[in-house]
Amino acid sequence: MTPQDQYYAGFMSKRPSWTKALRAYRKDLGALIADFVVLIALWGLSSFIWNDLVHGTRDFISVAPWIMLVVCFELALVWESFAVSPGMRLFGRRATDDRNGRAVIGRRFLRVLLLHGLPLFILPILVTTRYIPWQDRLAGFRSVSAAEVPDPRKPWYRTSWMVALAGLAVAMYLASALFTQVDLVKLFTNASATSEIWARIVNPDWSILGLGVRLLIVTLFMAFMATLFGVLVAVPLSFLAARNLAHGIIGRTIYTVLRILMSIVRSIQPFIWAIIFVVWVRTGNAPFAGGLALFVHSVADLTKLYSERLESIDPGPVEAIRSTGANGLQVILYGIVPQIINPYLSFTIYRWDINVRMATIIGLVGGGGIGQRLLQLTRNWVWDQAIVLMLLIMVAVWAMDYSSSRLRERLN
Amino acid sequence: MEELIRIDRLTKVYERGEVLAVNDISFTVKRGEFLVLIGLSGSGKSTLLRCINRLIEPTAGQIVFDGIDVTKASARQLRQLRRRMAMIFQQFNLVKRSSVLTNVLSGRLGYVNPGASAIHKFPKEDLESAFANLERVGIPEQAYKRADELSGGQQQRVGIARALMQRPDLLMADEPVSALDPATAHSVMQYLEQMNQEDGVTVIASLHFLSLARRYGTRILALKDGEIVFEGLPAEIDAAKFKEIYGEEAEEVEVR
Repeated sequence: MTPQDQYYAGFMSKRPSWTKALRAYRKDLGALIADFVVLIALWGLSSFIWNDLVHGTRDFISVAPWIMLVVCFELALVWESFAVSPGMRLFGRRATDDRNGRAVIGRRFLRVLLLHGLPLFILPILVTTRYIPWQDRLAGFRSVSAAEVPDPRKPWYRTSWMVALAGLAVAMYLASALFTQVDLVKLFTNASATSEIWARIVNPDWSILGLGVRLLIVTLFMAFMATLFGVLVAVPLSFLAARNLAHGIIGRTIYTVLRILMSIVRSIQPFIWAIIFVVWVRTGNAPFAGGLALFVHSVADLTKLYSERLESIDPGPVEAIRSTGANGLQVILYGIVPQIINPYLSFTIYRWDINVRMATIIGLVGGGGIGQRLLQLTRNWVWDQAIVLMLLIMVAVWAMDYSSSRLRERLN
Repeated sequence: MEELIRIDRLTKVYERGEVLAVNDISFTVKRGEFLVLIGLSGSGKSTLLRCINRLIEPTAGQIVFDGIDVTKASARQLRQLRRRMAMIFQQFNLVKRSSVLTNVLSGRLGYVNPGASAIHKFPKEDLESAFANLERVGIPEQAYKRADELSGGQQQRVGIARALMQRPDLLMADEPVSALDPATAHSVMQYLEQMNQEDGVTVIASLHFLSLARRYGTRILALKDGEIVFEGLPAEIDAAKFKEIYGEEAEEVEVR
């Protein structure tokens, strides 16, 4: 036995041949499911619009659900056999005939028909080593990896994918017009209702200025604390949430969990966090709740920004520092930190800027600071004092905006 | 001469068993040698070099460095071994935003107190030898510049100074002159030759050009598709051997 045989036995065939077949099969199945979902979404949307326009009812499915499922399934099969569907793009699959050429229309029809028995034949497919699903075999059709066939260069607007997308865009436009209850008549005739507000706004009551400045400072501190503690938490987290630094099963798991967790936290708006924390830590000290909300959102946002930056560092210097015999901490301090320090600072300033703006909005939901007082004033129709606070916020936001962009310019 | 490295049936397989980068390679390197690896891009030279200090984990086989099994070394032992095998790179791999001096000093990281290095504090003798080494590679006046302000040739010299800081037994050079013009390439190669002859550092360098390999190498090892296709003295490579290593269409290019 040559050493090669040993290695081949040990390393080259770690994966049994059927896993390859399974992988290809999984991709085809994934594409089908994706198309199915896309079609159901399209169905729901268009059905909703139709029902609203014609019957004035709000209903996503006007037929029995099973009819919709069956029709969408059929449409998905047709789409995959006659064009390049979104699912096929997503999973990198292309349809060809058995010689990697363009399949004729008869074969495409045949395949649609044969695909109906799909689930019955999963098991036999798993045990064949050269994977050609039975429906493709019979139809003289093949579903192959997109890399194997040259893409016929169609202009982008003529692909079935783009046509579907254009349809979706029109549907979304109509749907959003319905949802937001557009009333153009009112927009143009009812402006006088606001005249009292304008009248008070042009006569500001400056007596509130002192209190306003104090509240503004509270708000700025709220943003500052949220940013400071956010950075302290986000910096270590970012190292765990960077794909290129996640090694081994444990590292990968932490990476995945962190990334998912952070994207969930980030997708919940800060003012919703503020509502949660106002309930959670109701201490009569509302800025604390607002600060917490900003802190949570800052951690998630900064972790994402930081770790993405970490993922794009040059691996060369890291390798070089490792090769000198440096330990893990030294590799980070000498190989990674110099590459990330400026972008990290820049992101931090950017986030502080956001936090200052957010802090005023968070006040509106009871998170304390100048925003909360502003809300009270507008509720009580004290617009002449409200305008003073608005001006203060404007100055603060403008100052932050300006100084942060200047600072970031200098860092880059 | 006593042997410094013995590589025994080294194999590296990438991507879950689908790409075989280094295939069952065995050879030894004696102390004081200037071994040149040649071969096409993708023939496994870089992987082989990085397996020696385990920047890349080998899949199978054994690497013995000065009597110590590198492949079985613990993390701590490995760091101690790496101090003795310096490496320079094709893309220089300097930390671009750090100063030249910091880059050179980072060659001492394996030796110094980790706590002191965290606040960029290095012993006085390390600082002195950093300046001495910069002097040696001819760029003492660049010490406080940022690394990316230097030209390619100067950056590679900083890389050499960093390697010198380790006072290594072995220097691995991964295509050290591929990114440089011919004149600069020779001056860099001469520093390697000087290290080899004056300091007695064993050198393993992968090179693209056969003419450079002939000029500087004491022994040549040619790789093709992860296997050794030639091992011997520079003079032994004739036209037939050349075609075997680089393929039928290849033609030899001179670098003077």
